[in-house]
Amino acid sequence: MATARKSRGESRILRYLILGTWALVCLLPILWFLSIGFRPRTEVITPEPIYWPTFSLDAWRLLLSDWPIAKYLLNSVLAVGGSVVISLILGIPAAYALSRYEFRWREDIGFYILSTRMMAPAIVAVPIFFLFRSMGLLDTIWALMLIYAAVNLSLVIWIIRSYMLDIPKELEDAARTDGASDLRILWEIIIPACLPGIITAAVIAAIFAINEFLFTLLIASTANAYTMSVALANFTGGSDGIIYNAIALVSFIAFVPILILVILIQKHLSRGLTMGAVKG
Amino acid sequence: MASIHLQNIVKRYGGFVGVQNMSLDIADEEFLVLLGPSGCGKTTTMRMIAGLEEPTEGQIVIGGEVVNDIDARDRDVAMVFQGYALYPNMSIYENIRFPLRMRGIPASEHDARIRKAAEMVELGSFLDRKPGALSGGQRQRAALARAVVRQPQVFLMDEPLSNLDAKLRQSMRVQIKHMQRQLKVTTVYVTHDQIEAMTLADRIVIMNKGAIQQVGTPDEIYSDPANTFVAGFIGSPPMNLIQGTARDGRFTAPGISVPCPRFVHGQVTLGVRPEDCHVGGDNLQGQVYGVEPTGDVTYLTVLGGTNKIEVKAARDYRSDIDVAIGIAFDPAHLYFFDESGQRIRGAA
Amino acid sequence: MRTDAPSVPAGGVASATPDRSGNPPRRRSPALRKAFPYLLLAPAMIYLLAITLYPGLFAIYQSLFVVKFLNWTWTGLGNYSQILQDREFWAALGNTALIGGISLTLQTAIALTLAYFAYRDPLIRGWRIIFLMPMLFMPSAVAFIWKLAFNDGRVISDLLMSVGLVDGNVDWLASVWLARMTLIVADVWQWTPFLFIIFVAALQGQDQEIEEAARLDGASWPEIFWNISLPMMRPVIVVAVTLRGIDITTMFTNVFVMTQGTPGGATETMSYFIYRQGFRMFNFGYASAASVLMLILTIIIAQTVVKRAFHSGKK
Ligand SMILES: Nc1ncnc2c1ncn2[C@@H]1O[C@H](COP(=O)(O)OP(=O)(O)OP(=O)(O)O)[C@@H](O)[C@H]1O
Ligand SMILES: [Mg+2]
Repeated sequence: MATARKSRGESRILRYLILGTWALVCLLPILWFLSIGFRPRTEVITPEPIYWPTFSLDAWRLLLSDWPIAKYLLNSVLAVGGSVVISLILGIPAAYALSRYEFRWREDIGFYILSTRMMAPAIVAVPIFFLFRSMGLLDTIWALMLIYAAVNLSLVIWIIRSYMLDIPKELEDAARTDGASDLRILWEIIIPACLPGIITAAVIAAIFAINEFLFTLLIASTANAYTMSVALANFTGGSDGIIYNAIALVSFIAFVPILILVILIQKHLSRGLTMGAVKG
Repeated sequence: MASIHLQNIVKRYGGFVGVQNMSLDIADEEFLVLLGPSGCGKTTTMRMIAGLEEPTEGQIVIGGEVVNDIDARDRDVAMVFQGYALYPNMSIYENIRFPLRMRGIPASEHDARIRKAAEMVELGSFLDRKPGALSGGQRQRAALARAVVRQPQVFLMDEPLSNLDAKLRQSMRVQIKHMQRQLKVTTVYVTHDQIEAMTLADRIVIMNKGAIQQVGTPDEIYSDPANTFVAGFIGSPPMNLIQGTARDGRFTAPGISVPCPRFVHGQVTLGVRPEDCHVGGDNLQGQVYGVEPTGDVTYLTVLGGTNKIEVKAARDYRSDIDVAIGIAFDPAHLYFFDESGQRIRGAA
Repeated sequence: MRTDAPSVPAGGVASATPDRSGNPPRRRSPALRKAFPYLLLAPAMIYLLAITLYPGLFAIYQSLFVVKFLNWTWTGLGNYSQILQDREFWAALGNTALIGGISLTLQTAIALTLAYFAYRDPLIRGWRIIFLMPMLFMPSAVAFIWKLAFNDGRVISDLLMSVGLVDGNVDWLASVWLARMTLIVADVWQWTPFLFIIFVAALQGQDQEIEEAARLDGASWPEIFWNISLPMMRPVIVVAVTLRGIDITTMFTNVFVMTQGTPGGATETMSYFIYRQGFRMFNFGYASAASVLMLILTIIIAQTVVKRAFHSGKK
């Protein structure tokens, strides 16, 4: 009895040592980066790192005066929000078909949709660039909206499909005998019943859209379409070198809403990240 | 208000036959009960009538109209599902209201109807809850209310009382029958419970392995079983089935000897109900195997040769086990079945 | 027997008139019924085909030309024969496999270890939020964090110096392996959470009774984990690692921000190679040829690994 208790105590020390170490690995860079956001430019890049800098709101002032940060934020919100709406409008009926109907090539279509997620953005980067250029959509948030929706569509469809598969078929049958049409069943029964899945899909799609980098880099060339993600890279320009304290601030401005969204869907996160393959 | 005709209905799932060659006429306003062991195709039959499943072969006619090509939503059938199928996102009130909305019934009528249906299933005080916050029995009653809130051509009820306690079940049974008589809606009802079948049904359909075994009134099913399956399925405890030999007007099996009609001969099965066996007599010579008093009747199991025979004895009958005992069979209620299990009937 | 029938007024709920809606029953058109799921799928499919099939075909077409601004000159398979002899192309392929492989192995191992220690811990909710945080930063931000920590801010060098591991400032971009390592560190830091979250969920989702039974049989926690939990979560691991692996092979942002492929192309990934050929050197035909080759590779991987992973994941 005594030895059992002792070995448990030891393993607890080991456990907290390992978990605590990784917690520091996660947190220290974040805290340090946060401190970058609140120090003067002169204390960012120095021959010797400065661990206890002076507090300063330089970066704020810079952001607010020199950079149209509100515009970038607005671009991000519009492009991401619009793309999520588009992918839900296209994705929900598709997920419904894949989860509720028997038809030829169902599996193949489902797999094709999944496999579009596997395609590296770089592969389609050149053609997409030419496509948007010919449509005159370069440097607009419309192009961003369309491309984010496309990138996220497979993910949205697969997540929602997984949640729809969990809804018992009898529910639909009941609605049908009660006199509801297919579309009404989708709208009144299926969608409310898999709302957590839809929200999960929307949140994860939004996060991927916020993070998107390569397409945005190619499409956006001015404040017209710069998003937070690519605006970061923009701070590198000019004779001032990289303006790290402004970058740090922008990073945290984007981090906070994402953290809130993720906490909202915490229970569904693993299922969402695996496109429904793993039920958390 | 409609009769239902099933004509040579077959339902196959791949190679597996769920329902085989089923033909059945259900009269207008009839209360028909489907009875059979688990997996025999009761739900499948109901779902085909509802239009939720297409028969592989055969025709379904409701109210004189072939409905094979008519959508479930347009068949005007109300169904209580085995798994309740309540809409999880809607309150019970909204659940019951759903068919009214879908059928375009004037909104002014909704509230009164919903409350009446809920009263009927004694669910009046739960209308604001979501299905998730109800017990199994309460959910089942909500499902029932959702079906009876409108007047369809046909009611389909798939074990609607299976999750209720004995008392509630009994009162709901009376309710359902009363309502069906009053509304005069043709009803198909699935149950595992024989009492339910016997008390509710105008006619009972006994099914096994996707095929109809017998169709008849409760009396016919009970007193005139068509084969050993029906005989062994109905009654509690069910009919004793004893294999033996019939020759020259006498049936014999180890420990058993009874007179039989002359047209019964060869390897046959004798059927005799426990209530037609009486203590004292010499048709069965054996030992007491077990005694089970239940209050209003005592079940007695007698071991005769290798057969265990159930006997319904008087409520105060008691005995030790292994005591020798003689049993008399009521000669007016003996049934004989041939080797394939079919009832042997006289030339008449 | 029937004395306890309910006191509710017995009787029908509906009015005496039947509720048939006035319109005649609709016959379903078999053609429409059959087409319905395809109709539901059509908008999404058209959209996806537009951004995969069209660009795919476009890339194939463009890869047959030498493109100089608006000037397209037919070259047939010239781009391909050139690319297959291009050392930089093969290096990019090798780098992607190398950096991705090491990074994926590391993060899988770390995530499994963390998940094993964390999933039964009473503080699991706290651990999960903390471990999740790196993943919630925009990848471009993470790249800058590490660029600053390694190169511009010299923090890592300074810390290593103070514990005596190095003497003097390290130039992380000067050495092939150190440069690759910075990419790996950034990727592991940001994406270990992805695997951790999934692994923990899988472990928590497992039937507790099985573990308890094994515990009663005298197995220790490591034994239980190794012999019972791990085999049970195999399909989950396969799916998670496959998804992560695919994302790693598309690695672009970190390279773009942190190393730009230096030193001497040792950190150039496939995605960066295509980007550089297309949008820095404006060899669009050449970039398209590389895209087509990468697409073929993707299809092969999708058809084999991914299909199998998701198939087993479903069960
Ligand atoms: N979609 C299906 N695919 C294959 N087989 C099916 C399908 N639906 C039902 N079956 C099979 O058809 C048979 C009849 O099923 P059904 O649900 O009608 O049984 P049941 O009589 O209602 O049983 P229970 O009393 O258990 O509800 C069963 O053996 C079942 O396994
Ligand atoms: Mg059933």
